[in-house]
Amino acid sequence: MSGAEHLTASEAAARLAAGTLTAEALVRDLLERAHTRAEVKAWVWLDPEQALAQARAADRAGRPGLLVGAPVGVKDVIDTVDMPTQHGSPIYRGNRPFADAACVALIRAAGGVILGKTVTTEFANRDPGETVHPHNPAHTPGGSSSGSAAAVADFQVPVGLGTQTGGSTIRPAAFCGVIGYKPSFGEFSRVGIKMQCHNLDTLGVICRSLDDVALMRAVLLAQDLRRVDRASAAPRIGFCRTPQWDHADGDTQALLERMASRLAAAGAVVRDVALTPADILNHHRRIFEFEAARNYAYEYEVHGDKLSAALRDGLLTPGRALPLSAYVEAIETAESFRGNLDDLFGELDVLLAPSAVGEAPAGLGSTGDARFNAIWTLAWTPCVTLPAGTGRKGLPLGIQLIGPRFRDEALLDAAAWVEARLD
Amino acid sequence: MPSSEPHRLAATDLVRLIEGRELTAEAVVASCLERIAEREPVVRAWSHLAGEAALAKARERDKAGQKTLLNGVPFGLKDIFDTADMPTTYGSPIYVGWRPASDASAASLPRAAGGILLGKTVTTEFANAHPGPTTNPHDPGFSPGGSSSGSAAAVADFMIPLAIGTQTGGSVIRPAAYCGVVGFKPSFGLFPPAGMRINTEALDTVGIMARWVGDIALFRAAMMAIPYVPPAMPETAPRLGLCRGPHWDEAQPEGRAILEAAADRLSSAGAAIHDTELPAECAEGDERQTTIGSFEGLRNHMPELYRHEALLSNRLRETKIARGRELSLATFRKACRGAEKARAAVREWAGGFDAILTLPAPGQAPRGLASTGSAVFNALWTQLWMPCLTLPAGHGPDGLPVGVQLVGCRHDDARLLEVGLWVERQLGQGDRP
Repeated sequence: MSGAEHLTASEAAARLAAGTLTAEALVRDLLERAHTRAEVKAWVWLDPEQALAQARAADRAGRPGLLVGAPVGVKDVIDTVDMPTQHGSPIYRGNRPFADAACVALIRAAGGVILGKTVTTEFANRDPGETVHPHNPAHTPGGSSSGSAAAVADFQVPVGLGTQTGGSTIRPAAFCGVIGYKPSFGEFSRVGIKMQCHNLDTLGVICRSLDDVALMRAVLLAQDLRRVDRASAAPRIGFCRTPQWDHADGDTQALLERMASRLAAAGAVVRDVALTPADILNHHRRIFEFEAARNYAYEYEVHGDKLSAALRDGLLTPGRALPLSAYVEAIETAESFRGNLDDLFGELDVLLAPSAVGEAPAGLGSTGDARFNAIWTLAWTPCVTLPAGTGRKGLPLGIQLIGPRFRDEALLDAAAWVEARLD
Repeated sequence: MPSSEPHRLAATDLVRLIEGRELTAEAVVASCLERIAEREPVVRAWSHLAGEAALAKARERDKAGQKTLLNGVPFGLKDIFDTADMPTTYGSPIYVGWRPASDASAASLPRAAGGILLGKTVTTEFANAHPGPTTNPHDPGFSPGGSSSGSAAAVADFMIPLAIGTQTGGSVIRPAAYCGVVGFKPSFGLFPPAGMRINTEALDTVGIMARWVGDIALFRAAMMAIPYVPPAMPETAPRLGLCRGPHWDEAQPEGRAILEAAADRLSSAGAAIHDTELPAECAEGDERQTTIGSFEGLRNHMPELYRHEALLSNRLRETKIARGRELSLATFRKACRGAEKARAAVREWAGGFDAILTLPAPGQAPRGLASTGSAVFNALWTQLWMPCLTLPAGHGPDGLPVGVQLVGCRHDDARLLEVGLWVERQLGQGDRP
């Protein structure tokens, strides 16, 4: 093994562009790592020959585009024309879409290699797949983007695509000790992504470097690369414990308090902020239930026996019973909540908040609690989680930074400032 | 009851007659299929017809006898929605022969409510501007409008009582008006979009068509999987804001005349009619629409651009997609924020009325099939995420239908339908057909 599997996508892209690395060699190292570490079970589809064929084609074509042959793992709720797309459900076993999702086509158009499909929970919901935590197989990697987070953390791929409706990108990234990024709602195309909740679903990126977030933004938006500014001024930070603070474990609370003090000591303006309305999570839940119950109508009506009881009875059936007035009230409350955040961001650059309640929980039965994420999914604001040490079981903890909607670039700059001041 | 021609009946009547065993679902489906066989060579509303399967479903329903909301009533589905048992082309040669793995929610929910899907109706290419073969059922020399061309034409031509469309600019309301049927675009996001091929996520809205406002209310309950409460005729005449809008000078003479006449008639019937203009925040709505559609369009069409660019129409490549390449992210963001501000601004304005009364299209349908007409009277309401209802209100110089449009407060869709019932009665189109 030559060690190329440890490169970030941006580092790999630089070497690929310079000709000091071939896409084939990079993909070989990643496949070797995935083979050696098969017990992580991050992949639901990984065909070495298919991945190598794409890499060789990239090499032959002179490694074009921003990705110049760098590989990406794709969560299996995202359509791929040349790989099965099974949504973590037996209903879609062997399903072959006719077309790539827009994000997959954008990656290919930017010269990227689709390495394979990563494990998702059932329909990006709660019923887990087989993936284990790469640092401790007795623990969940988080979900629903379980395979993408585990594969990136385990150096099996530099970048994975995730989706987030509650906390499905940020939480697994935090649990696995990598960077997770959820953009402003409405920027990344959702064509070809299995729809769960049209007001919430957001395509996200899991990787090991903020540079890769910037790189993937350029790829997925078909824009020029806008590099992270690593010399930006100290940000104005709102320390947002959120109304869910009491659910965070002691390690997480201590980590956040310590970080707030440290960032203030390093020159950031840090002040406490409260969210209104405080019951915002209830509104997220209503939208989640009402929309999922209708967007999964085919699965619920025609294949109800093949759905997990957790999804069918725990989400979809209650969603069918939820009154329209409760859903509409939730939509309108969410809009005023977003307005309140716009006001808050008039005086602040970013909010600092927990990424999860704590370390990845033991066992594979649950992918953990999304309460520190669902708030920001509903908010439509960009979020990034940065790895920030470990908890008492030795598993990673993260801190989450939230920026104002449509100011993702500024969020990444502030995140770089914060990252430089972590342990 | 003219049960010799069940295809002409309202969906609410069909539900009742099937329940009372005065009609079978099979007879209704057979009647619709006969009408289609007779008229389809001229109207060309269907991209796929599943007659045998529909008859089999209808027989099953008749045998089971269990009452459901739609109770065996046939419906049509725009071919921009996935169906597991029918081909799905999105109006593009790229997808000819494609069979998706699942039904869109717009197919599943009405089916689960006992509706019988007869087939897929013609859409323009990816619900954009490039037209399909459908003609206006009132005169094949004219466009049916688009992009939900087949759905509007099939309902107008008595081939089906109910159909589903989508609107990103004016693709439900305009064809419904051109074909002389009732079109309803709900508040953004209220009908589930799963399985609909995305055109522009910030704008796409699933909508429905029927020949009666009452049928719209019935179908709406099925589309949303909510309890059905028949709309009540308002006891008092509504307060209506007559909004000629910023494009009044683009309206055709018959469009203007019919809107003014409708306002007079409603006023005589007791409605309070107030001239009103859009809040200032709605200016630049058209530019925003173009920006959002083009920015998203380039990215949303990347699967086709990457593998099948030559099979996209020149019109799509040279307009929307070409514009998308020129647009900056900052311009897109500004347009999204501007649309948000406009939505906030119209809340109070629209709240002053039971509904806004305006045009659904410049006038009667355009001659020829090359253009499905202009969306200038629709795009802003789509962007404002407000519910819209078009009703037939008269005829243009070539005898083609001309409609009026009612626009309600966002999320007050049920009230808009009640106002629509009242307006429908006053406009004297309550005797259709």
